[in-house]
Amino acid sequence: MNNQSINLDVGQCAATTYTVPVGPVHPALKEPIRFSFNLDGERIVGVDIKPGFAHRGIEHMGMKRNLVQALYLSERICGICSISHPLAFTQAVENAAGIEVPPRAQYIRTIIGELERVHSHLLWAGVGAHELGFDTLLHLTWNVREKSMDLLEELTGNRVDYAIPIYSGVRRDIPERKAHLAYEALEYYKGLLQDMIDAFLHDKSVEMRTRNVGVLTYEQAVELCAVGPTARASGVKKDVRQDMPYLAYADMNVKAITPEDYGTETIGDVYDMIIVRLLEVAQSIEIIEFCLENLPSGELMSIPKVPALLATLKKASGEGLGRHEAPRGEVIHYVRLEEGVEEPAAWKVKAPTYSNLMAWVPMFLGDEIADVPIIAASIDPCMCCMDRVHLADASGIASERTKEELVKLSREKTRRICG
Amino acid sequence: MSGTLLNAVWQGIVILVGGTLLGMIYKGLDRKLAAQMQGRIGPPIRQPFFDVIKLMVKENVVPDHAVGWLYNLMPLLSLASVATLLFYLPLGGFQPLLGGFGDLILILYLLAVPSIAMVLGGFAAGSPLATVGAQREMVMMMAYEFPLAITFLSLGWTLSTFMPGAHVFSLSVLAANPLWGMVGPLGVIGLILLFAALMIVTPAELAKIPFDIPEAETEIAGGILAEYSGRNMAMFYLADAIKMVVMGSLTVALFFPYGLSGLVGLSGAWGSVIDVAFYLVKVFVVIFFAVIVVRVAFARIKIGQAARLFWLPITGISLLGMLLLTLDRFV
Amino acid sequence: MIFGTLIKQLFSKPATNPFPARYMPKSVTALLGKVAAGQAQIHPPVPAPDDLRGKIAYDREKCIGCQLCIRVCPANVIEFLPEDKKIRMYVARCTFCAACVDACPVDALKTTPDFLLADTDRFSENLVVE
Repeated sequence: MNNQSINLDVGQCAATTYTVPVGPVHPALKEPIRFSFNLDGERIVGVDIKPGFAHRGIEHMGMKRNLVQALYLSERICGICSISHPLAFTQAVENAAGIEVPPRAQYIRTIIGELERVHSHLLWAGVGAHELGFDTLLHLTWNVREKSMDLLEELTGNRVDYAIPIYSGVRRDIPERKAHLAYEALEYYKGLLQDMIDAFLHDKSVEMRTRNVGVLTYEQAVELCAVGPTARASGVKKDVRQDMPYLAYADMNVKAITPEDYGTETIGDVYDMIIVRLLEVAQSIEIIEFCLENLPSGELMSIPKVPALLATLKKASGEGLGRHEAPRGEVIHYVRLEEGVEEPAAWKVKAPTYSNLMAWVPMFLGDEIADVPIIAASIDPCMCCMDRVHLADASGIASERTKEELVKLSREKTRRICG
Repeated sequence: MSGTLLNAVWQGIVILVGGTLLGMIYKGLDRKLAAQMQGRIGPPIRQPFFDVIKLMVKENVVPDHAVGWLYNLMPLLSLASVATLLFYLPLGGFQPLLGGFGDLILILYLLAVPSIAMVLGGFAAGSPLATVGAQREMVMMMAYEFPLAITFLSLGWTLSTFMPGAHVFSLSVLAANPLWGMVGPLGVIGLILLFAALMIVTPAELAKIPFDIPEAETEIAGGILAEYSGRNMAMFYLADAIKMVVMGSLTVALFFPYGLSGLVGLSGAWGSVIDVAFYLVKVFVVIFFAVIVVRVAFARIKIGQAARLFWLPITGISLLGMLLLTLDRFV
Repeated sequence: MIFGTLIKQLFSKPATNPFPARYMPKSVTALLGKVAAGQAQIHPPVPAPDDLRGKIAYDREKCIGCQLCIRVCPANVIEFLPEDKKIRMYVARCTFCAACVDACPVDALKTTPDFLLADTDRFSENLVVE
């Protein structure tokens, strides 16, 4: 704190608010971002959000590598969404290059994608409980989460960074001897789901801390373009799997889950977000079961040989868009390929947190400083997914720009990307 | 005279060292059992000793904006006041060392001193997070002191109706004359209610979940303690450990002062050993149910909710207990 | 209610996977020797699936030096040795995606379930494969 900010004007003392900084390093935050809260007592009357601490220039790095290398780089945009980004990226490249994906591969991609949703939502639930000071629930939830991590390890070979999708298909099959492990895990979760709902939704102290906290109304969610569970908890029936079915989702009827499905009125608070995420775990388990039972037979890749794949991609030109409903919301990858070049000519990533960031402001305003951790966690923020820009001057010191300057810079960049 | 004084000094040292060690062991047990209940392994029981040693050798940072002397004085004041409390409590069935020089009212004041020290230390730290923590601690004190005072007062008053003229607020008199056998059925219900109120005040007094609002790690990064480090932090840590023993012993002295030596027919040294062991178990049981189980079974509540909880239901419970005791004596 | 779970967990084994030894031994090799001789016990490691993507094994005889693995490796792990047309891998850089295994036309590269690769020296014998 500098001297200026503690210099209170005595004449206006009654009306003075004070500022509490949260972040970039703070126990309530799992990743770096900076909030400045204007407080009136314990009540938040103003908030300033400053992202950009986790910017790594990953798109630039991807444009310096060939497409196979860039695929594994896209996986490392985020450790939790480590299938969501490759799924969107492969779809974008396949669209651009016109590569077909065999049905079996599409189903396997769906299974891994939904398993990731199970473990990501359980991870979120545990983090949320920790933010409430309820560490027992954190440990219980994460213990339950281990089953999905173990299954992912069995199916893909690693607990995170599954390296399953490749352009034109998937790299690993789900053989018979592993399918029964998947069914076992699904039964385990089906049996535990009611316990999870009891532990979170019927617990008095959790309800005290989350009901009517961090409210995002339907209108605000629509206006601020919130995505994923954040929007759905406010009653916006918005889900890429429902609106623009892709992969195996086209073969089943996926419906966006809102708190109404639980039988309660939609308020749009943190409690509703818990409802939506827990019900989505149940939905994901149904989807995985459907995929396992209806797994089509056939090949895994339409272009199985790596040299042939590299050659096809080098010849391809055009632009493609890939969308995927990640656990946190819609992730979009844009790729432009040029003939004769192995590297993508342009790569743009829009992560769900980027859309949900603005939803924080109405959620924070009017609530207490004690609600900051759970509200910050409620949109399941992922800074390393989201941070695509950091402004610095020549000496490397962070600088600030006005809205007009930012719009101008963004337009210039879009023109540059689109060639 | 000098012999008695020397004796008292020795006893004082034994009580201080013993109380501190006991507090640290209970803290270790607290962490181990909480971990076990959460499905974890947890640290070894001697971990608090490692923590204190490590804090002692670490650098003692004083922030630039802090009021240095106040900031450094408050941990000392906190530790000194809880250490003083040990001299006024009947530990292990023995008479309190300073029993003749203070009573329950003094204990009530001394219990408030560590909290006040933390408030002042928090404000003196000059950090916004510590300031928020200090404000919260003040609200917490205002919230839980009232039911605590009612509990003490009711017990003393009830005893005074039985023993007019006795020094009823003296803890040794209260411990020597447990009320359970004296009052009627209404009074027993009243005592149970007062006991319940004290058990709920205990985690608040010790700033444990769900009432660790002034420290709230995920919200204000340790709040009052956010800026403290090294030796100062170690003193707050020790004060916290001793306060746990103090609250446990207080509950035991007020509600369960019974010994085992009379029951098994032992006297002298062996009787004392049995009584001390039984006392340790009693304190542990109180800490287990009032602190350890509670802190793993609830989420942290907000300061407004905590204040409302103490001012309405908990004060209500203690007032009802007082009313029942009064009715029991006069109807 | 959560109290039931708490009491149950209080009296059951923790969910945590324990370290091989409870405390860090003075000498790891001495402890392992004792374990081999049956004088001491360690907690067995958690079983990993046999197709875990761990450390990459390299068959030097099979390798034809086509450099395809170098082209697909996203982390620049693999160095080409031009004089004998073989490769050298620096495992400390590896991201365990196994793209090289897919790319290898003669199956000279294979994944192994070996994942305990922590070391203080990134060029130690265990972390350089050739």
